[in-house]
Amino acid sequence: MPPRTQSKSAPPFVRMLVLTGIALVVGSAASLAAIALLELVSILNSAFLVAPKSRVQWESMPWLVALATVLVPTLGGLIVGLIHRHLSPAGRPLGPPDVIEAVQFHRPLPDLRSGLISTGTAALSLGAGASVGQYGPMVYLGALFGNFAHRLQLGVPNLASIAVSCGVAAAISTAFNAPIAGVLFAHEVVLRHYATRAFAPVTVASVTGYVIANVVFERPALFRIEFPGVAHGYEFALVALLGLLVAVAAIAFMRLLLAVGPAFAATIKRPELRTASAGLAVGLTALALPDVLGIGTSTLRFATIDGAFGLGEVIVLIIAKIMLTAVCIGAGFSGGAFSPSLLIGSLIGVFFWTLASGVAGVPSSGAAIYAISGMMAFASAVIGAPLTCILIVFELTRNYDVTIAAMVAVVFSNFVSHRIFGRSLFDVQLARRGIDFSLGRDHAHLTALKVVDYLKAEAVTATAEEAPEVVAKRLEERGWREAFVLDLESKLLGVFTSGPHQGVTRVDQSVVPAKLVFDDGTDLAEAMQSLRGFVGDAVPVVSREGGQYLGAVSEADLVSVWLDEAGRLRKEENASV
Amino acid sequence: MRLSELLLFSSLFAAPAAAEDLTVVSWGGAYEAAQQQAVISPFADQTGMEVQVIQYDGTWAALAERGPNEGWDVIDMLDDQARVACARGLLLELQPNSLFTPDALADFTPFGPDRCAVPQNAYARVMAFSDRAFPGVKPTRIEDFFDIARFPGPRAIQRSPDGILEWALMAEGVPPEQVYGLLSTDRGLKLAFRRLDSIRDDILWWQDPAEPAEMLAEGRAVMAAGYNGRFFDMAQRGRAPIDIVWDGRIIGIEVWAIAASSDAPDAARAFLTHAAQPSSMARLATHIPYGPTRRSAFDRIGLNPDTGVPMRAYLPNAPQHGGRSLIQDSGWYANTEQLRTRRFRAWLDETN
Repeated sequence: MPPRTQSKSAPPFVRMLVLTGIALVVGSAASLAAIALLELVSILNSAFLVAPKSRVQWESMPWLVALATVLVPTLGGLIVGLIHRHLSPAGRPLGPPDVIEAVQFHRPLPDLRSGLISTGTAALSLGAGASVGQYGPMVYLGALFGNFAHRLQLGVPNLASIAVSCGVAAAISTAFNAPIAGVLFAHEVVLRHYATRAFAPVTVASVTGYVIANVVFERPALFRIEFPGVAHGYEFALVALLGLLVAVAAIAFMRLLLAVGPAFAATIKRPELRTASAGLAVGLTALALPDVLGIGTSTLRFATIDGAFGLGEVIVLIIAKIMLTAVCIGAGFSGGAFSPSLLIGSLIGVFFWTLASGVAGVPSSGAAIYAISGMMAFASAVIGAPLTCILIVFELTRNYDVTIAAMVAVVFSNFVSHRIFGRSLFDVQLARRGIDFSLGRDHAHLTALKVVDYLKAEAVTATAEEAPEVVAKRLEERGWREAFVLDLESKLLGVFTSGPHQGVTRVDQSVVPAKLVFDDGTDLAEAMQSLRGFVGDAVPVVSREGGQYLGAVSEADLVSVWLDEAGRLRKEENASV
Repeated sequence: MRLSELLLFSSLFAAPAAAEDLTVVSWGGAYEAAQQQAVISPFADQTGMEVQVIQYDGTWAALAERGPNEGWDVIDMLDDQARVACARGLLLELQPNSLFTPDALADFTPFGPDRCAVPQNAYARVMAFSDRAFPGVKPTRIEDFFDIARFPGPRAIQRSPDGILEWALMAEGVPPEQVYGLLSTDRGLKLAFRRLDSIRDDILWWQDPAEPAEMLAEGRAVMAAGYNGRFFDMAQRGRAPIDIVWDGRIIGIEVWAIAASSDAPDAARAFLTHAAQPSSMARLATHIPYGPTRRSAFDRIGLNPDTGVPMRAYLPNAPQHGGRSLIQDSGWYANTEQLRTRRFRAWLDETN
């Protein structure tokens, strides 16, 4: 972990001004950029015959529409893959997990160039109709603006992390016309604490995004729905059941998504051919099922209309969308999993409603409530943000009844998916990079600290053939009781303790095995666990491969690192201004 | 704006005034009479120009055929027709920035002047009902048009896919901004026709726009889809108990444009700025219930000079109407005509 350079803290009033100013600037920029991205995607969708409105224009030339359907996602995939390979230093699309990592560890995001290229390829991926979502790229784009705060020295601790969260909140607020959900998303997913120092500016940024989207540009809400209310009390139980069903599907989706990437990498060596073949899969499927193309705004709407899909049709569509989204993201298309999740979830809701109402004949209040509950239950399992999802429903529908129903579905889905899969797709992706949030952010911070970074220079070593007296003298000089005895390849043989050693000429004759050995992968969390009951000066650290002695860490040092880290987190999580 | 107009007018006075300085083309009937009183005569009085008004059938094809020979200058057109005519080079390019100040341009609603046309008024396809047929609860939403259980009786609908498909989807809860996107998909069309199926046996078809109001007045239909001006006329002048439901209204825009072949482009431009003044628009709206396309004109609309009816309540785009309103997507209409007609005929044939 790189050392943090923190400028001296400014007076509270100045800090307040700085935070508000940053929130306004980052919030406006992120919101405008999000709108620009959406507009660009919409223009591309029209130009490339992905949007239904442009496809229908060429309805008299079916061969042209069919050709575009197959070629556009395939060529789009090829270009996206080539750009990532040749122009992007990161070599892959960037997304919310990168933002979470940067904010949690107060590091800058990956380089700007990779970020901008990732945004560009996201516009291209979405524009070409790949089965990926727009919110991941919007969140990343918003975060990019906040990231500039890393260059500022304005006397506010953790300013850059707060600024990045501001960008994230404004992007979500703009995308959904949902400022409250924007605030919650930034906290639930990115910041993971609720300090006023962060909460206040994030809220300001979120409202700024809402004002720009709603008042300045008068953009219509993403998903307007009129809903008369839940007609029968038992429907809440049905919705809970739906939540459980959705969780199973969401787990299958996320497992598939994570498995597809490595599988692709193993079979197709050139990355641009991976994305091209994923695009081809989308195009061929879309010939028969045009609903799978792109973001699927119209499909999302159809899901709320009673009887828009037959039972067989909806099953095929669910399976196709799950597979294609997993394939597109796994293959390396740039885009998120959130909006496909909304679509898949709503279709599962429709499936459930068709079974309950059509097949079993249970009277219900219509498909819409199940579609919305399923949609949010699936999405919350994927992004790990139940509160955000509940609030999105509330802000989009402004309907209390449907929010309560969706809330029930969301929690039951989260019950199952959290237990079986993990808190979210992002967290599992991060865990695979060695950042584990499953036991909370303090644990994640401790696991990110490696004991090998805190070696004590004064630790005493000895070679195997040295005389005990010599080593004992060295120990006495440095005030230590134990020396680590190494062989010629500097592998650790054991510990030599000063004291009476009769009839011993070489230290290796009276060496005892070390009670506790760390390696260069040992993190602070593991170390603190194994230090329970440990008595001794220091713990030797060896390399995981080869077992070479690297140095030793003292118990006292580890405890103070741990205390520092806990104190820093406590400060961050309880800061007022 | 005032000053520029004054300069423009004075330059026109300076020019030798010939007979028939300007030829304006419109649709005839009560509509043209209203335009004559509200817009054309005041313009002729102010400028001293002689304005001739002739009629056409509203198509861009007529403009192409007759325009150059008959010396057409200013043409009253439907927005979608004007777009086609503009793309075919039949209309003069206007440069709206030279005709209007930025404030005036921002005052236009729902959209401002484009390359070839200046919006002049808004008409609407609306649902109306006979008050006699429903003495108790009245229909208030577009869903009610499709609800034969609560509101039984024959419905008068134009024998064409125009308008009714939009209503069918709005009745399924689709918000106006998504209607055309959904109608562009096979699934959307199927859903719309499914909704239409639910009233199939109660449909009374009409072809002439005058018919739906007559059908309501004569008691042949209990509900009708038609143009707001016609229903207004029947209700006010025919004294028939017809009421308009504004929810789900489909608003179309009527524009002024200048023929590319015009021999008096300056006079034509002067006419356009005159006609697009809020006062001209408001005057037109008092004669016939076609709404102004500038926000500031709404504040000036008063009583109908003949009947004394306060006209603001009858304008399709009046801001006080609640409910959903859909701006007709002219481009989409032009592109999907064949498809819609084909699907509509297929649906009609299912009965026979």
